[in-house]
Amino acid sequence: MTILEATQITKAFPSVVALDAVNVAFEPGRVYGIVGENGAGKSTLVKILDGVLQPDKGTILIEGEDALAHPRLFERISYVPQELLLFRHMTVAENLFMPFWKSGVQNVPILQERLFAEAIPWLERFQIDAAPSTLAKDISVSNQQLLQIARGIVSKQYRILILDEPTTSLTAASVSRLFEVIRQLRGEGRSIIFISHKLDEIFDLCDEVSVLRNGVKVGDSKMGDVDRRWMIRQMSGRDIDERHVFRPRTRRRDVVMEVEGLSGPGFRDISFTLRRGEILGFAGLVGAGRSEIMQTVFGRLHAKGGEVRLNGRPFKLSDPRRSVREGLIYLPEERRQEGILPFLSVRHNISIAVLRQITNRGVISIRRERALVQQIADAFDIRTPSLDRAIMFLSGGNQQKAIIGRAMASSPKVLILDEPTKGIDVGTKADLYGLMRDLAEGGQTGIIFISSDLDELLRCANRVITVYNGRIVGEFDAEASSKTEIVASMIGERMAGKGEMLQ
Amino acid sequence: MRAPTRGAKDARTKATVRPAGSIASTVVRLVNLIRGARTGGVFLALVLIMAVASVASPYFLSPFNMQSVIRSLAFTGMIAMAQAGLLILGELDLSVGAVAGLSGVLGGVLMVWLHVDPFISFALGLLSGAFFGLVNGLLVTGLELNALVVTIGMTGVYLGMNLVISRGAAIIGIPSQIYFLGQGVVLGIPMPFVIMLLVLVVVVFIARYTPFGRYMYAIGNSREAAHILGVPVNLVRMLTFMGVGLVAALAGMVMVARLGTAQPSIGETWVLDSIAASVIGGVALTGGVGSPAGALLGAAIINIVQDIIVLFGVSPYYQTAVSGMIVVGAISLDAISRRVARGGNRPGGGQQA
Repeated sequence: MTILEATQITKAFPSVVALDAVNVAFEPGRVYGIVGENGAGKSTLVKILDGVLQPDKGTILIEGEDALAHPRLFERISYVPQELLLFRHMTVAENLFMPFWKSGVQNVPILQERLFAEAIPWLERFQIDAAPSTLAKDISVSNQQLLQIARGIVSKQYRILILDEPTTSLTAASVSRLFEVIRQLRGEGRSIIFISHKLDEIFDLCDEVSVLRNGVKVGDSKMGDVDRRWMIRQMSGRDIDERHVFRPRTRRRDVVMEVEGLSGPGFRDISFTLRRGEILGFAGLVGAGRSEIMQTVFGRLHAKGGEVRLNGRPFKLSDPRRSVREGLIYLPEERRQEGILPFLSVRHNISIAVLRQITNRGVISIRRERALVQQIADAFDIRTPSLDRAIMFLSGGNQQKAIIGRAMASSPKVLILDEPTKGIDVGTKADLYGLMRDLAEGGQTGIIFISSDLDELLRCANRVITVYNGRIVGEFDAEASSKTEIVASMIGERMAGKGEMLQ
Repeated sequence: MRAPTRGAKDARTKATVRPAGSIASTVVRLVNLIRGARTGGVFLALVLIMAVASVASPYFLSPFNMQSVIRSLAFTGMIAMAQAGLLILGELDLSVGAVAGLSGVLGGVLMVWLHVDPFISFALGLLSGAFFGLVNGLLVTGLELNALVVTIGMTGVYLGMNLVISRGAAIIGIPSQIYFLGQGVVLGIPMPFVIMLLVLVVVVFIARYTPFGRYMYAIGNSREAAHILGVPVNLVRMLTFMGVGLVAALAGMVMVARLGTAQPSIGETWVLDSIAASVIGGVALTGGVGSPAGALLGAAIINIVQDIIVLFGVSPYYQTAVSGMIVVGAISLDAISRRVARGGNRPGGGQQA
């Protein structure tokens, strides 16, 4: 029996993405993957299935009844959004059971002790390593994401669980734990809709998959009948070779940055060198300290010791403003919160970093601004109906291209990219790799590439440095090393080269 | 590799120009068209209100009434534009009125009691306002205090200083040399309005054509992103507070010149109007969105509505309530139109790229 059936779903946003006559149906006891590029309409579709958005056309049947006419039916669907939407200043237990009427915690007064006791089995089920009385803001991001998913299944009455990119901030251990829970739920006869850019996860978990492209469902299939290639071709409309290598071909150039004995929050004794024209990969588990190291070099966090030399000259670690002036640029992992200026146009988002080039005696030349931004938009293939459109309306991939374009426009000496492909689809990823390679081969810039995806590091980097528990534990020639030896180093199992394990 | 992506783009544009299926989607597109030029929408509303008023009351467009409208608009307009600058930055200043009053009184004290040259006193009054603004800014940025709380507290301090100095009474005998700044008329336009237009030009220029203005928007959009980009975040915040103090003092001093006395009560009612005007004019309270010019249009709407209420002979007892309701109504309309344009049906359910 079909639990949820949506037919001919059509939705037009003013000049943004639309869904065009999409049909989907979900049976109990199965896991459904939905894949597609950024902006293909995945999130719009699930928001419609959950009743958050209303379709312009189409029908939604929940257990045979018309849900658009009876919105209460949507209570049978539990939707866990992509963004972290927790009550940051409330406890883990309160977050878990909110709203109380849904989770069955109804007896007024609501006693903290009882909430805490009831929360414990849920935290154990998800292996969330935090006391129920901790404030949500004080637990790790990975645990926050798990908590949000747990909140989605606390409600008793749901039949369908929708997970929109639930693993973006999870550690590897948490992902496998989450998958176990999802399989249990499937065993209980729930139907699960799972959205992810990570195709490995789709193949690992799902029974069926639907592919969206530009608001149209271009294919669906049982999981066993398809392979990655098919899926990527359906998603992007083109053939993308996932093994294509983007490693910059560089002659050995001079060193642009040397870091020696750097210590800071959560890491110590970090030493490495970066050359012009190379991509230096930083591998490690979530929480190993890679971002902290780079943010300290950048001056956003405070160093406890050590030194950095830029072009052979001592570089004073102080604040981001100084680093930017010296040609050191950092692109943060949290693109939405710390990268883009959401309400400003693409033009203003890009020109903000190059105002000196377009300013004459303190006055900005709008004409020169337009010309320069247009040039960057062309070079970096930023796809937008207009450069005057607010950047928040662009897809994640195009936002990232804009931000990289902005960074490159000031011709930096060192460019640090922190998880630049997070939440970005396969096709756009390949575009970004190509851009990074071209920048490096330009010969002026050294690129540091932090990623949790070892495959992409091996395809893009010249060298890979592994970080474990706040220490550098290995350095590998990306061309000559195998994935297994780097993984071993990443998880602290084997020491390669310098450094020793902390315990 | 190029061809298919271009096709993808076509498909996307096609979706957007799809013929409207219902009245609702036509409305959505209309609202969106207006929203494309936000100040354009406010301007349209202003024109509509004026058209209705001029039909309903023959006195509305009379030169005398128009002069009185723009004379009072000069003051709320200046304050609104300054407040808009801070709101764009993601801050606000509730002490603008108190600063205007205190600076006016200080200027009056210099001119009348200390016999300082009136123009030098005028300038010193402005400087005092800049100083008070700087104090606000230093407290907010230096100690990372919340602007709302700081400026509520400083409102008390400035009002208190005002009362201590003036003893609560107007300072009379302001030298007549500076009267023209408040009472003069240039080409039929009252001098305060001319001064306001100068402020408009300067503020719009800063906001649009200088790195400083771009930094203000960047900080209001995301302070973290701005910080990482190398924007001198705290310096810009501090200087903007200072600029707001300066403009508040300017409005206060011009009011002194207009009244011919330094009233301690100058600026009492300016704060809330300045925030309401900004919001009506499309400045987001959460920062990063809007323009000072929009805030001026918002101020114009508030002033004209207040004028209409008087013209229509609404009882003075009701005037405050009616103008308050109109402000809330205007903001509600704006919020509703935004939600419709987003296509969302539930609050927070909208925007999806």
